[in-house]
Amino acid sequence: MADPPQRRIPSPQWLLVLPALALLAVILLVPLGRSLTYSVDAPAWTLDHYTALFTDGVTLTVLARTALTATIVTIVAVLLGYPYAYLMTRVGPRLRGLLMVIVLVPFWTSVMARNFAWIIILQRGGPVNSFFKLFGWDLVLYESVAGVTIAMSQVLLPFMVLPLFSALSGIDRRLLLAARGLGSHPITAFWKIYWPLSRGGVVAGLILVFTLSLGFYVTPALVGSPQQSLVAQLLGQRTTQLLDFPGASALGILVLVVSLALVSWANRFGGTISAIGVAASTPTNAPTKDRP
Amino acid sequence: MPTPRRALTVLSATMMTAVLAACGGQTAAVNPDGDVTLTFTAYGGAGQEAMINAYQKPYTAAHPNVTFTNTSPPDLAQVKAQVMSKNVTWDVVALAPAAAEQNCGTLFEELDFSGVDKTNLVEGTVGKCYIANWINANPIAYRTSAYPATAAPKTPADFFDLQKFPGKRGLLTNVQNGLLEYALLADGVAPDAMYPLDVDRALKKLDTIKSVTTFAPNVGALQQAVGANQVDVFVLPDSRLVPLLDAGTDLTICWDTTVTALNGFGVPKGSPKAEAARRFLETLVTTDDVEAISEALGTAPINKAAKPELSDNAKKVEVYGPVNTGKTVQQDVGWYASNFDAVTTKVNNWLVG
Repeated sequence: MADPPQRRIPSPQWLLVLPALALLAVILLVPLGRSLTYSVDAPAWTLDHYTALFTDGVTLTVLARTALTATIVTIVAVLLGYPYAYLMTRVGPRLRGLLMVIVLVPFWTSVMARNFAWIIILQRGGPVNSFFKLFGWDLVLYESVAGVTIAMSQVLLPFMVLPLFSALSGIDRRLLLAARGLGSHPITAFWKIYWPLSRGGVVAGLILVFTLSLGFYVTPALVGSPQQSLVAQLLGQRTTQLLDFPGASALGILVLVVSLALVSWANRFGGTISAIGVAASTPTNAPTKDRP
Repeated sequence: MPTPRRALTVLSATMMTAVLAACGGQTAAVNPDGDVTLTFTAYGGAGQEAMINAYQKPYTAAHPNVTFTNTSPPDLAQVKAQVMSKNVTWDVVALAPAAAEQNCGTLFEELDFSGVDKTNLVEGTVGKCYIANWINANPIAYRTSAYPATAAPKTPADFFDLQKFPGKRGLLTNVQNGLLEYALLADGVAPDAMYPLDVDRALKKLDTIKSVTTFAPNVGALQQAVGANQVDVFVLPDSRLVPLLDAGTDLTICWDTTVTALNGFGVPKGSPKAEAARRFLETLVTTDDVEAISEALGTAPINKAAKPELSDNAKKVEVYGPVNTGKTVQQDVGWYASNFDAVTTKVNNWLVG
């Protein structure tokens, strides 16, 4: 070791993270470790709880339903979020502030209030049902996967718009001018120049929204129905109704592993911006404004 | 001067101590004759309010050393977590008697009710690990405005007939509210040939209405759905029908075949106040307590000597009264006691699949 031993710990800075580490250890690592031991050790060491996930005929159905819902929510969020974030980069500061507030208002509103609002909107006799009844269609989206998807898309939209806005606002628009000046069609210029530069923000948003969707509990539990449970509801049911702590732990670990795998896989497409790094980074893969 | 490493050691030691203290060991038993505060866990809402007035206040008046704190809901997973961590904070928990019997001695204390006079008590009132406090009738009922009087559902079979009686169904996911029994009745099983339950047959029948049914996780949620016109025809216990009727909801009850079930209380295993809790639970079957709770909630008395003075709305749900012109099926605690966990798992897996 080249350094003298007493310099191995840069003490003052290191102490600063101690409270956060201690908190994480207590609220994250201890319960997580407990889940892990529950899932393989009840009462003797076994992998039965994991094999049961694949053979009980229920878990895979619910996982597939969850993955499908999360995919749709993510697609809806990017389709709505991308043009919105783009617009935010193109308007004046006052309008941008307004657009930002519109995105953030759901953030500031209690998640329960938002979900109960969706119940009122989607339930029988609510505005959506009444509207479709005008055309003779008694459509009730409350307690359906479609209703859950709509509500989740709204709740999760900020997680798409914010990283996208941060990525898009770092893109130097003079590159587009240069492309046009060299004879490129606007659409070609977008695809060849703008889109690749925005991809990091898109991936960050996709990862955030998708992983949050995978574990979303409140909206499916309130707006959805037990018949169309998503994985978080299944977890709730296994712990609170069935008292199957080992089975629930195994399911929780499985979902965690799937989420981590997806994040690390998707991370490769995000360049230097990612779900993990988005808050800290300015898009270094985008040209900086002061480039000549 | 402490190095950061030593600070970390001290910190971890402190944390470990805190964690160990929180996990606790077996707490010493509390003297039932001294000052005791029992933590009473029931279903919340108006029902628990009624229990406070009918059970707790008279008991504290007679036994000034015993007071109560109230909490809800009586989640079995909570009980399990408390028992596993040897940190039992609930002393009295409302439950399905079968849940207590199946987990007797593991999650729930064995209780000595040999001093209770059983002469006038309904069969099954006293178990090894529970005492029942009332009988719930879980009749099929519908919002009167949802069906014309000439074409309204009347029987369990009608409840499952989507052609003749369209509309949104409401059921509770708890097996103690007659979910499986009604499916079998509708499928042609005779009321007296119900047990042992053919669970697969019941679920197959339930499949036929699964897509038009709101499965509520608790009685409060279903009561709310009825009140908000979200379901048309449903199975709801009497104790929740009375508040709806009191609130002015127009309901019709289908007295054809009605499933009844006992509701009981147990004491989580390892409660340091188990003896005080047991003494309190004994009083729940006295005529005074039974009359008071029936008058408040419309539940059927567990003690045949009790003569509650029922309100008009409570009389409308009186399963052993003149209003019931049909039959009753009482849930078999014995059968459920050996099958409660397995059936609950099966029903829940069916539900989410």
